[in-house]
Amino acid sequence: MTSYRLDERGLIDRHTKLPFTFDGKHMTGFSGDSLASALLANGQQLVGRSFKYHRPRGILTAGAAEPNALFTVGRGGRTEPNTRATMQELYRDLEAKSQNRWPSLEFDIGSLNSILSPFLSAGFYYKTFMWPSALWEKLYEPLIRRAAGLGTASYERDPDAYEKCWAHCDLLIIGAGPAGLAAALAAGRAKARVIVVDEHAAAGGTLLWETATIGGNLAADFVTQTLEELRSLRNVRVMTRATAFGSYDGNVFGVLERVQKHVPEPVSQKPVERIWRIATKVALLATGTEERPLVFGGNDVPGVMMATAMRAYLNRYGVAPGRRTAIFTTNDSGYVLARDLESAGVNLVAIIDSRAGSTFPYGGKARVLRGAVVTDARGGRLLSSIDVSFGRRSENLKVDSLAMTGGFSPIIHLACHRGGKPRWSDERSAFLAPETTRGIMLAGAADATDGLAGCLANGAARGAAIAQELGFRPFPFEPGIVEGDVPAAPARPLWSIPGVKGKAFVDFQNDVHRKDITLAVKEGYGHVEHAKRYTTNGMATDQGKLSNINAVGLLADARGVAPAAVGTTTFRPFYTPVSFGALTGAHTEGHFQPIRKSPLHEWAKKNGAVFVEAGLWYRSSWFPRRDEATWRQSVDREVRNVRANVGLCDVSMLGKIEICGKDAAEFLNRVYANAFLKLPVGKARYGLMLREDGMIYDDGTTSRLDDGRFFMTTTTAYAAGVMNHLEFCSQALWPELDVRLASVTDQWAQMAIAGPKSRTIVQKIVDEEISNGSFPFLGAKEVSLFGGQLRGRLFRISFSGELAYELAVPAGYGESVADALMEAGSEHGIQPYGVEALSVLRIEKGHVTHNEINGTVVPADLGMGKMVSATKQDFVGKAMVSREGLVSPDRLRLVGVKPVDPRASFRSGSHILTKGAAETLENDQGYVTSSAFSPHVGSTIGLALVRRGPERYGEEVVVWNGLSKEFTPARLCDPLFVDPENEKLHV
Amino acid sequence: MSEYRVTRRSALGSNALRSERICISALPEGHVIQVMGKEGGPDLGAFLSEKIGGGAKFAVRIAAPFQWYVVGDRALSPEETDTMLDTLHPHAAGVDQSHGRVRFQVEGAMVERLLAKGTGTDVSVEAFPVGHSTMTLIGHIAAHVTRVGEHAFEIMVLRGFAESLWDDCARMAQEFT
Repeated sequence: MTSYRLDERGLIDRHTKLPFTFDGKHMTGFSGDSLASALLANGQQLVGRSFKYHRPRGILTAGAAEPNALFTVGRGGRTEPNTRATMQELYRDLEAKSQNRWPSLEFDIGSLNSILSPFLSAGFYYKTFMWPSALWEKLYEPLIRRAAGLGTASYERDPDAYEKCWAHCDLLIIGAGPAGLAAALAAGRAKARVIVVDEHAAAGGTLLWETATIGGNLAADFVTQTLEELRSLRNVRVMTRATAFGSYDGNVFGVLERVQKHVPEPVSQKPVERIWRIATKVALLATGTEERPLVFGGNDVPGVMMATAMRAYLNRYGVAPGRRTAIFTTNDSGYVLARDLESAGVNLVAIIDSRAGSTFPYGGKARVLRGAVVTDARGGRLLSSIDVSFGRRSENLKVDSLAMTGGFSPIIHLACHRGGKPRWSDERSAFLAPETTRGIMLAGAADATDGLAGCLANGAARGAAIAQELGFRPFPFEPGIVEGDVPAAPARPLWSIPGVKGKAFVDFQNDVHRKDITLAVKEGYGHVEHAKRYTTNGMATDQGKLSNINAVGLLADARGVAPAAVGTTTFRPFYTPVSFGALTGAHTEGHFQPIRKSPLHEWAKKNGAVFVEAGLWYRSSWFPRRDEATWRQSVDREVRNVRANVGLCDVSMLGKIEICGKDAAEFLNRVYANAFLKLPVGKARYGLMLREDGMIYDDGTTSRLDDGRFFMTTTTAYAAGVMNHLEFCSQALWPELDVRLASVTDQWAQMAIAGPKSRTIVQKIVDEEISNGSFPFLGAKEVSLFGGQLRGRLFRISFSGELAYELAVPAGYGESVADALMEAGSEHGIQPYGVEALSVLRIEKGHVTHNEINGTVVPADLGMGKMVSATKQDFVGKAMVSREGLVSPDRLRLVGVKPVDPRASFRSGSHILTKGAAETLENDQGYVTSSAFSPHVGSTIGLALVRRGPERYGEEVVVWNGLSKEFTPARLCDPLFVDPENEKLHV
Repeated sequence: MSEYRVTRRSALGSNALRSERICISALPEGHVIQVMGKEGGPDLGAFLSEKIGGGAKFAVRIAAPFQWYVVGDRALSPEETDTMLDTLHPHAAGVDQSHGRVRFQVEGAMVERLLAKGTGTDVSVEAFPVGHSTMTLIGHIAAHVTRVGEHAFEIMVLRGFAESLWDDCARMAQEFT
C-alpha cells in the first residue's frame, strides 16, 4: 500500500472517475488509466502469484511485455484470462480477478511450492515422474495438468463478434512513438498512402511520459498537434489499440485491433476485436526498445519495477511508485527517472549505478552509489529493503519501491518473422535487426538510435526517403529543437551480479531463475533452443520479451562464450497473444462456411424436404410424410414410387460444363477414356475420365448439342476439380486445340423425372414429341416448353435404371417448372425424392459413385474395361492404365453383396472375409463400398470391391465390421439387383 | 400445359438494406453473357461494347484473360440471346449465364471499408478506379467485383451462393448501419 496517486501530473481525466473491482474489492480510477495504473494508484502492488513457486508478484512494466499482472477480466461469456493489466484500459465497472492462487491472492496455499523449490528446479518433471509407470496417466498427468496453465477460459458462449479486414498502403508504420509519428508526417505530407498502427490506446509512445520539450512544446502537446495533422490527411490512417503481431510473405502484416475491449458493454454492430491483414509496399518498424531487467535476488518482489515503467506511471498516469524509492541502473536513463521522481516530490533514497566511472551530472538530493549493485531485494508481498554492495562494503537500504534498468534492446521481432536472423551488437549488448529485411525498414530506437531528438530526426528522414523511393515528392518535416533530452547511450551489460543470495529471476512468467540457466548448461542443454525448452525460459504469453537477452547473456557466461555465439531463439508470430475469436473472425455459426442453394431449394422446402449438407450444397435428403415415423419409411416409399410410378429429384448440383470450339470433340476424345470424337449431335454418352496414373478420376454424361458445343455433367463433388482438370488439359497439355470452357452449373436447374410414367408427364410440358422412337435412350436436345414460353435441355438418361429424363431449364424458372411437373404428375402418383432414395436406386442398379470411384480403381475394376478405347491414339491415363498391377486378375473388383438372412444387415466400410476365415487383415478379401436397404430386394444390399469379385458370384462370405464386431453371412452376386438386362431404360 | 404460366424466381428478390452510409440492393436479373476469346487473340472489349453491349456504361467487364462478361439489366429472349451469341462468331464463343450469375450493388460512403472485410483486393479508388473489374474472394465466396461509381460497386456471384454472400455482406455492413 505504498504506491499512490499524485495530486497533479499525468494525462488522465481526473473529472471522470471510473469504479472497478479487483478480486471483489471496490476501487476507483480515472478515465485514461490503464488497469495497472489504477491498481497502483489504489496502492494495490501485489497483483499475482508466479507460475511455479506462487511467489507474490507486482506490476513490472507499463506495456506489452508484462509477465506478472495477468488477470481474468470480464464475466460470463466475456471472461478473458491472462489479460495484461498494463494493456487493459480501465472502464466503468471493470471486473478483474487475480489468477493462479487459492484461496486468495494474499494467502495462497500454492506458495508452499517455494519451500519445495530445491526439488522443483528446471526440468524437474523430466526426472521426477518416472516411476511407477502405472501412475503416469492416472496420477502424474492429471496432477501436472491441474497445476499447469494460467487462468481459465470460460465455457460460456462468447456473445461478441469478431472480424477480419484487409488494408493496403504504401507505407505501414508500426509504432506511433517519436520516430513513427515523424515518419508518418514526412511520408503523409508527400502524399504516400500511410497507415500507422500502435498497440496502445493512445498514440505517442514514450512521448506520453517524456518531459523534454519539442520546439518549445511539451512532448504530449507535440503528439496532439502531430495527430491532428495526420488525421487531416486523407492518405493517412492512424490506428491505435492495434498490435502488429506478425509479418508474413508478400509484406502482409497481421494487426489485431481491440475495437471494443475498453468499453463496459460492447455494441453488437461492431466487433470486439478485428484482425487486419495489411499489405504494404514498405513497412517501417518504429517499435522502440524493450528495457532489460537486472537479475538480482528477489528482483520479483512487488515494488520492484522497470525504470521506464516507473517513469510512465509517474508522468503519464500521475502515480508515485512508493514512499521511499531507489533506482538501480546500468546507464544514464536512471538519472532521467531520478529527475522526474524528485520533481514530482517522490522521496528518492538512492541511485545505485553499476558503473564506477559514471560521470552523469546529477544534481538531485538522493545518494548516488557508483560502482554499486543491488544484490538482493527483501520483502514478502511488498518490498521492504534492498541489499546494496559497493566495493567491499554492503548496506541495507529501507525502500518500498525500486526501479531497475539494465539497458535497452531494440524490438525487432517483426523484422525476423520471415526467417531473418538477428545480429548481435557488442556495442549495444543487444540483437539488432537482420541486415536484409525484405520490404522492412527500421527507425528510431528500434534502429539503434539514441535519444528523443535522434529518433525524431531519424524517423522523419526514413519517412521522407521511403516516400521518395516509392515515387512521391518528398516533403521535409522538421520536428523542432528538443530540450531536456537525455540520450541513454549504451552501457556495459550486467548479466551476472556477484553476491546474490536469493532467487534471481530471469523469466518472471515462467519462474526461471539464474541457477536454472546454469543448470541447463551443466546438463547439456546449453544451446539456446535447448535451454529454452529445458528451462521454459521465453515461453508463454510474454514469449521472453524481458528475459531472452538476460538468458542469452547468462548462457554465454556459463558456456564461456560471447553472446553472439549463443545466438537467440527464433522469432515467430504472434508478437503478443491473439484470441481464437479474432483468428476465427466472422466465420462462426451460420456463417461458418458459405451455403450453396439449388435453384430448386424453395421447391424442395415447400414439399417438405429434409436437407443435408453435401459439401457446401444443401440437398434434399428425403421428403417425409406425416404418417412416417422414420427416415427409412420415407426413403423406402420414395424408392418404390419411382419403380412403380414416377418421382422427381433435384439434380441441379451436378457439375455442368460447356465445352465450345471447333476442336471440342477431339478435346473430349483425349479427356475421356472412351470415344467421343464421333458422338452424334443430339446424343449423350456416359464417359470415364482417368487420371494420368490410370485410375478413374470422375464419370458423367456428356451430350453433343451441336458440332462445336458439348454439355458435360460431372459428379457434384468433383465439379470444380473437373473444371480445373479440363482447364489444365486445354491450357497446358493441348493449347493447340480450339476449345473454350465455361462452368454453367448455376445457370441450369436440373431435375430427374424417373419412373415408368415419366414420359407421360414430361410430354405434358415438352412441345416436341418424345416417344421412344423419336427420342430414344441417350437422346439429348434443346426443347421448347409450355407452348414456347421457355427453352430447356432434355436428356434421356437414367441413374435409377428406370425410364427417365433429366430436364434442365434456366435456373430462375426451375421452381416453376418443377411445380408444373408435380401438377402434371399428380394423377400419376408423382412424388419428390431425395438423395437417399437416389442412392438406393443407383445401388439397386449397380451404378457407381465416388464411393466406388475412390482413387484406387481402374475401369476394369468396375466392369467397364471394355469402355476403354483400344484404338484411340491417346487419352489421359492411356499410358498407365495397362500397367501390370492394374490388369492383375487378383485386383479388387465390383460385385454385389447381400445377406444370406434377409433380416440381417451390414454397413458400408465393412470388410469381406472368406467363409470360415479368421478375422484378420491378412484374410481380407475386400470391402463394402455402398450399402442400403432395398425395398425391391427386401433386404440390405451392397456394392463391394472384392478380390476377383466377378468370378465369385454365388460364394458365401462373411461381412466383417471390425469396429462393432459384427459378422454377417452374405453372398456375392451380380451388382445389378434390378432389371439386369436394362430393359426398362429402352421402353 | 401451354396454359401454365411459367414464372421466374429471382435469387435475391427485391432485397435491399439501406442506411445513410451503406446501401445494398439486388439488381435486376437481366442478362449475363460470358464471352470466351482465344488465348493470344485480340482484346474484344471495344468490339463487345459496340456490338452486343449496346455501348452501355460498364456493360463489358473483364472476366479473365481473354474472357469478358457482357452484362445488362434487361432479360433477353432466347432468340435475342442466340443473336448475341451468333454475333461473337468467329471472334469468340459465348455462353449464356443470365441465370447462373446474380448481381447486387453495394454503395455508400463506407463501401470500401465494407468490401475490405471480405476481399484482399485493394479497392481504393486509386488502385481500383471506376469501371475496373476483378474476380476475387469475398470471405469464402468467389465474386466478380466491378466499380461502378466512386462509392458504388457491383458484385456478381454464382446464383447458388447469392443468398449466402448477401447475408455475409449484410453482416459486414452492420457496423455502418
